[in-house]
Amino acid sequence: MNSIYLSLLVLSPLLGIVLLAFMPKTGEKGIKLVGVLATLPATVLALLAYFSYQGGKDLADYGEKVRWMQFGSFGQLDPNLFTVYYELGLDGFSLLMVVLTAVLASLAALASFHIKREWKGYFMLFLLLEIGMLGVFTAQNLILFFLFFEITLIPMFFLIGKWGYFNKEKAAYSFLVYNGLGSAVLLIVIMVLFAKTGTSNIEALKVFLNTEGAQLPTPVSDSVKMGLLIALLIAFGVKLPIFPLHSWMLRVHVEAPPSIVMLHSGVLLKIGAYGLIRFGMGIFPEQFAELAVLIAVLGVVNLLYGAFLAFIQTDFKMVLAYSSISHMGIVLIGLGANNEAGIQGAIFQVVSHGLISALLFFLVSVLYERVHTTNINNLGGLAKGMPLTAGFLLAGAMASLGLPGMSGFVSEFMAFLGLFREMPILAAVGCIGIIMTAVYLLRAVLAITYGRSDRQYAGISDLRSFEWAPVLVLIGLIVLIGVYPAVLSQPLESIVLGLGG
Amino acid sequence: MENAWLIPLFPLLSFVFLLLFGRKLKEGSAYAGILLTLASLVFSVIVLVERMAAPASYKAEAVWLKIGELELTAGFEVNQLNALMLVIVSLVSFLVHTYSKGYMHGDDRFHVFYAYLGLFTFAMLGLVLSPNLLQTYIFWELVGVGSFLLIGFYYFKNEARAAAKKAFIMTRIGDVGLLIGMILLFWQVGSFEYDEIFAAVEAGSISGTMITLTAILIFIGAVGKSGQFPLHTWLPDAMEGPTPVSALIHAATMVAAGVYLVAATFPLFAASETAMMTVAIIGAFTAIFAASIGLAQTNIKRVLAYSTVSQLGYMMLALGSAGYVAGVFHLMTHAFFKALLFLAAGSVIHALHHKQNIEEMGGLWKKLPLTGPLFLMGTLAISGVPLFSGFFSKDEILIAVWAHGNYFLFILAVIAAFFTAFYMFRLFFMVFTGEARSPLGNVQESPATMTMPMVVLGVLAVVAGYVNTPWFGTFLGDWLVEGNEALGHGHIEGPAWIMIVATLVSLAGIFLAYLMYYKKSLARDWFTSRAPITYSIVRNKYFIDEFYNLSVVYATRSVSLFLRFIELFLVEGLMKLVAGVVSLLGKSGSRFQNGQIQTYGMAAFLGLAVLLLIFALTGGYIG
Repeated sequence: MNSIYLSLLVLSPLLGIVLLAFMPKTGEKGIKLVGVLATLPATVLALLAYFSYQGGKDLADYGEKVRWMQFGSFGQLDPNLFTVYYELGLDGFSLLMVVLTAVLASLAALASFHIKREWKGYFMLFLLLEIGMLGVFTAQNLILFFLFFEITLIPMFFLIGKWGYFNKEKAAYSFLVYNGLGSAVLLIVIMVLFAKTGTSNIEALKVFLNTEGAQLPTPVSDSVKMGLLIALLIAFGVKLPIFPLHSWMLRVHVEAPPSIVMLHSGVLLKIGAYGLIRFGMGIFPEQFAELAVLIAVLGVVNLLYGAFLAFIQTDFKMVLAYSSISHMGIVLIGLGANNEAGIQGAIFQVVSHGLISALLFFLVSVLYERVHTTNINNLGGLAKGMPLTAGFLLAGAMASLGLPGMSGFVSEFMAFLGLFREMPILAAVGCIGIIMTAVYLLRAVLAITYGRSDRQYAGISDLRSFEWAPVLVLIGLIVLIGVYPAVLSQPLESIVLGLGG
Repeated sequence: MENAWLIPLFPLLSFVFLLLFGRKLKEGSAYAGILLTLASLVFSVIVLVERMAAPASYKAEAVWLKIGELELTAGFEVNQLNALMLVIVSLVSFLVHTYSKGYMHGDDRFHVFYAYLGLFTFAMLGLVLSPNLLQTYIFWELVGVGSFLLIGFYYFKNEARAAAKKAFIMTRIGDVGLLIGMILLFWQVGSFEYDEIFAAVEAGSISGTMITLTAILIFIGAVGKSGQFPLHTWLPDAMEGPTPVSALIHAATMVAAGVYLVAATFPLFAASETAMMTVAIIGAFTAIFAASIGLAQTNIKRVLAYSTVSQLGYMMLALGSAGYVAGVFHLMTHAFFKALLFLAAGSVIHALHHKQNIEEMGGLWKKLPLTGPLFLMGTLAISGVPLFSGFFSKDEILIAVWAHGNYFLFILAVIAAFFTAFYMFRLFFMVFTGEARSPLGNVQESPATMTMPMVVLGVLAVVAGYVNTPWFGTFLGDWLVEGNEALGHGHIEGPAWIMIVATLVSLAGIFLAYLMYYKKSLARDWFTSRAPITYSIVRNKYFIDEFYNLSVVYATRSVSLFLRFIELFLVEGLMKLVAGVVSLLGKSGSRFQNGQIQTYGMAAFLGLAVLLLIFALTGGYIG
């Protein structure tokens, strides 16, 4: 039971941080190299875990548990009561999230080659961020989860505020304020649960709160449960984000450096979905079912709101930011359906959107590097000078709008399949979003790549050296999931089975 | 038949191979594309022959996606309709691949063109082989992308960009209908498989309203893809793509996918009188509506495009009138003669250095000694002149409509046939006869790579009709419905006068065109000068595009602007509120940090007192 595999995986970027601390500030090449290499151990370990799971290894073997701290003097009564453990573990869902995080972190580290200054500080923060993200998905209790969750906030704040674009400070502060408030709400939920049940272990909470007559220090009434679930919905709704809590996220998308947005949009937003599924749906299944209609409605609102606003943006980064809001609506739609198809669709969408938005933001960084603008009114005809970039951008857009054969379709399809079973009318309204997604993405992408080319872009260089790796890996994974969805559905089988109504 | 799944993989291989190595191969790319589609063609023919000899269909499947306990499968099926479609698609695709070697010669992105053709052919063949609705939908979307990429092939032209976008979005509107219909069916039947759906329909386990609803939703998908009214406007605009593409995608194969879909789900439609009537009415209306627009167009490709829309309407009309065989038969003959017409038009455009306006053409009969007669053969076939293929298939449709009792739609169809004969011969006379109406430069017949595929199609445009005639036997029809009663009869008996009427009507159309555009004994503006308003409406395609721009596009923008208003005031307001509260807290907090030890001390003791009080009152933990 006690392996240190996961601790190694989660903390492996620390090695890079230490190494970087001893390096001179000016050695650009060395720093970048160490920065990228430091993300690789986690990727290798995560992939190894994935493949050995496919090879039949039991995920429970990865669990580890060490006593950490204890509150009060309940040790004599029950050594577990009010005790916090350092406990990491994996199940199918968190395995997928860990693999996604590790792979995207490596690719984002490559994309960070476009960073122009203070590489040392940048990569140290970057690696710290990675530790936080990996920890969030492996933590087995709420307090540890919260700790890792907070670890992601601080490096993000500095990465946005220091290495971003023109309005970076403002973006960094609105990031901190919103997420800080979200964390505060989350902390209240965790503390109430801990105080009332004496444990913060997720599995234990699931059992305690959903067994009739379970022995608890203080009983938890249904209305309290509902209150806690709504608080969770707000806390993770900020992260996801759910309308109208999204404005901080738009600023981050536009102002943060694209390599960081790859992680932000690809992984950090997904913590919101992860939290809702793992804690909201996992710990409070009955209350979640009662809120299902509300969540589905919020999902459709997100989907349509994001899509219609993406349609009139002139900055391509804004288009993608609103598109993220819209796509997170599909996650909510799947969760609101609250049946097997919907939940599996939501989880698929979490992974799929992570890959697709990482791809699109990487291409934004490639583009910005060369033409120094992302305003679609000033761009056009890039297919002439950069046919490969233009082609991949179009492929990314197709994936995002749910073209079959790519991952976006499978997730969108399952989410809607689930919702049509429960609320067909609402689902039919949501389908307008499918059309609008095509409308705004084609409008933006064709405006950039098609049309007449300006002379000023003559002699522009296409994809080069290190830029190939992220593009090919991401497209490869997107197509793999689209064609052979079992790579995701198989680890999820035991999780999805029997979930929901 | 067990290896039929290989058929779509050859063009897929061509797509991947050319994406990777096309740049180095340059125009050698054509050989890869041509050879691989030839392989598909050979396999398709083998499968067709095997299916003709075999007593039953073949189906193989494997699990594709597991959702909890649900298992969605993927696989392939060979039945009569599939096998026929495989040959049509791979044959036209092969011919277009060959033709394009000449037509696209000298283009910078020659290899990209062939790669896209491969992608499209793969998707179309995959669509045809699909044994269930989900897989059909997957390939349905992929053919849409192939079409999108090829319409926008000349990406630097703003018109091509607009046309590609329009095609994608308008067909997607239809696709959403298909998606909803298929999901609703799934929750009724518990499966996407065609045979299970049909079994459920037959067993009566789906309510009548549900059948009607899902059938109409599926039909909406077909309307989008087949350019039926009111989602037809993308198809004429799609002519911005290279002409071989127009022949392959926007005449012979993809746009026929809508008809194919209705045919493939025919037992579902047949179970609902309302759904059948909807299909028939939309089809008949589109047939006459598009034909009337075709009367007044001056771009050679656009005339053909409207004629395609109109002919697809014919096929829908046939299916909606329970004429399964007639619809599929016309789909086949149309694929051949319309592909021929487009390729011949491409040959004209090629010879005239990309001139497309027929007002500037004329007198090309002698200058293009092969293209001219081939174009004439296609024109005779589409006009329904006896002994050509279109004559037999159109006749079948008219009989089916009459036998079904749709007399009003029958009249519409006959008028549409008159229009068709007229505008096609108008086109022919204006392009090939008389004197050139503008300097045409050096006009030369196209190379053999272009003319040979046209010759093959020309032969087919004549003989393809003889597989199903009232005179020599209805082989095709009998075979198509063999072993499946839900599809109706292989041949529907109709009164003999229908054939005579059809012939007379088409000859009348030809004669009128002859008087106006060849003999010129009837002034060209005889009609237009008498009804200028009607003419203007028809010439402007009934202002449908303008109407959409003013309604749908405008409404979408309005919604977006309204939401932006909400975003600016409500959401940003919330943001300001949050930020304001936080900074207010911070400010008031900092006021306490005034450096006075007494104040700090008082706060500390007060706090302790309050805590002790609470502790004393509650007696321990707060619960």
